Amino acid sequence: MFASLFRADFLVFLKHRRALVVSLLLPVFLLISTNGTKASHKFGGAAFIIGLAIAYGLAATSIVGYALTVARDREKGVFQRLRVTPAPTWTIMTSRLAMQGVANLILALFVVILGTRIHNISPSIGQYLLVLLVSILAGAVFLSIAQAMVGLVRSADTVQAIARLLLAVLILLGTLGQSGAFGTTWSDIARWSPVGVVMTLFAGVLNLHAWGSHETLSLVASFGYIVVCAGIGIRWFQWEAR
Amino acid sequence: MPETVRVIRGGREEIYLISEERGDGLLLLRPQSPAVPAPPREPAQSDVAASPVRAAASEAILEIRGLTVAYGPKVAVSDVSFQIGLGEIFGLLGPNGAGKTSTLSAIEGLLEPRSGTVLLDDLDIRRQPAQAKSRMGVQLQATSFQAELTIKQIVRLYAGLYGVTLSDQQIAERLREIGLEADADKPFKQLSGGQQQRLALQIAVIHEPDLLLLDEPTAGLDPQSRRQLWGRIEDLRQRGGSILLTTHSMEEAQAVCDRVAIIDHGQLLTAETPRDLIAKHKDDPRVRQVAHGEVTLEDVFIGLTGSEIRD
Repeated sequence: MFASLFRADFLVFLKHRRALVVSLLLPVFLLISTNGTKASHKFGGAAFIIGLAIAYGLAATSIVGYALTVARDREKGVFQRLRVTPAPTWTIMTSRLAMQGVANLILALFVVILGTRIHNISPSIGQYLLVLLVSILAGAVFLSIAQAMVGLVRSADTVQAIARLLLAVLILLGTLGQSGAFGTTWSDIARWSPVGVVMTLFAGVLNLHAWGSHETLSLVASFGYIVVCAGIGIRWFQWEAR
Repeated sequence: MPETVRVIRGGREEIYLISEERGDGLLLLRPQSPAVPAPPREPAQSDVAASPVRAAASEAILEIRGLTVAYGPKVAVSDVSFQIGLGEIFGLLGPNGAGKTSTLSAIEGLLEPRSGTVLLDDLDIRRQPAQAKSRMGVQLQATSFQAELTIKQIVRLYAGLYGVTLSDQQIAERLREIGLEADADKPFKQLSGGQQQRLALQIAVIHEPDLLLLDEPTAGLDPQSRRQLWGRIEDLRQRGGSILLTTHSMEEAQAVCDRVAIIDHGQLLTAETPRDLIAKHKDDPRVRQVAHGEVTLEDVFIGLTGSEIRD
């Protein structure tokens, strides 16, 4: 059953591959536009820039892509049709999350390879593997936020509007907050926002000798986001739009 | 022509009476008692005195006992009990909002009933949902498959969910049966409403279920598609399957259903053969008031449920 569901979700993903490419536009723009010592330094160095770029890509594909697909399929009754089959409900959602996880890994790998080339840093094989691990964790952070959104909001149109607004807020927090342009308060908020903690983790694994308490606390915060948001998303998720 | 037909189903011989030979060559069969009688069932406490429904003549494939479905404080279905026999076509009739779809949703496992039991051949839909669902075929009121998938991919997906492995040739054969072979690589969203309905029904019977649940299956279908649908339902019945359907078409219910139940305001008012239902209520003043000439099932329906338009 799971294989049939995953295969179908993979086929849907292939049909939506353009969405993945669109999700890559902002990270690629960020990597290219900060390709200079001054610009890169303003954001905390190349590792932070790459981390921010991956975080943006994952946020876009999860918060907008995943949430919207789930909300629309729910509204159309796709889930209802699947739920009258013998497939347990957890397999329906797990298959979708697994497929999104694969998409997140592809995106993260692409951005990190491009980023290290543009910014002339040379991570080890181990660091690449750590980036993939953090990508799974970061993907889970944004997917849990998306799940909370579709748990709390039933209308697909409203989910779409909120998802775009949330993505814009996270991007602004990540870019302007981290740059320190609005003072330390905003800088702190940005640092502990989902984008901030994820970015810190990516930067941490790309610059392992600088790993410290801030990175460890970001790891804890990431798990906190996952537990709280996934809890909300599962507790209040409705399979029907009405 | 023989008066009975023997069907081997699940390794067991069953005997059906030929009740009618239709002009289009189809035989309408009614289940007779099985060759090897099943052990008698214990009647549920709730459907002995409270329910106006008589039990199906043959062994029941589906038993609903004291089903109550509520949405918060609003009770949509109240203490409904009925049975559906093997090979029986059972129609659930009612005005809009009467509780038909809620009843069906509880049987399909989509809704958690407040109380009551749904047993599919002794499998409790709440306790053994996967086993029960694997023996049900469902066509929902609104057809809804992943719009991005092609028809072939949809058939393969749903076959897989029921544990049925189909080769490309078998999929093509299934699509040929519903006139969609040439559209196999079309996305679902490009099909017309009638094509979507045909595909939905084909998927509902892809695993040859024991019980087929159809929620307003003929809504929006042209006469050709409707006739083909009834032909396919009859095919399933002849293979020993049972059908529970909802419809607003009283003519169809009268022509096709072995028994019909009328539900209104969440309460089951009656369940009889169409003929018995008419005979029983033809002298009811409420029915006489709406009848023009010979009393039809529609007259009985409107007489029992009222003439006001429901939303």
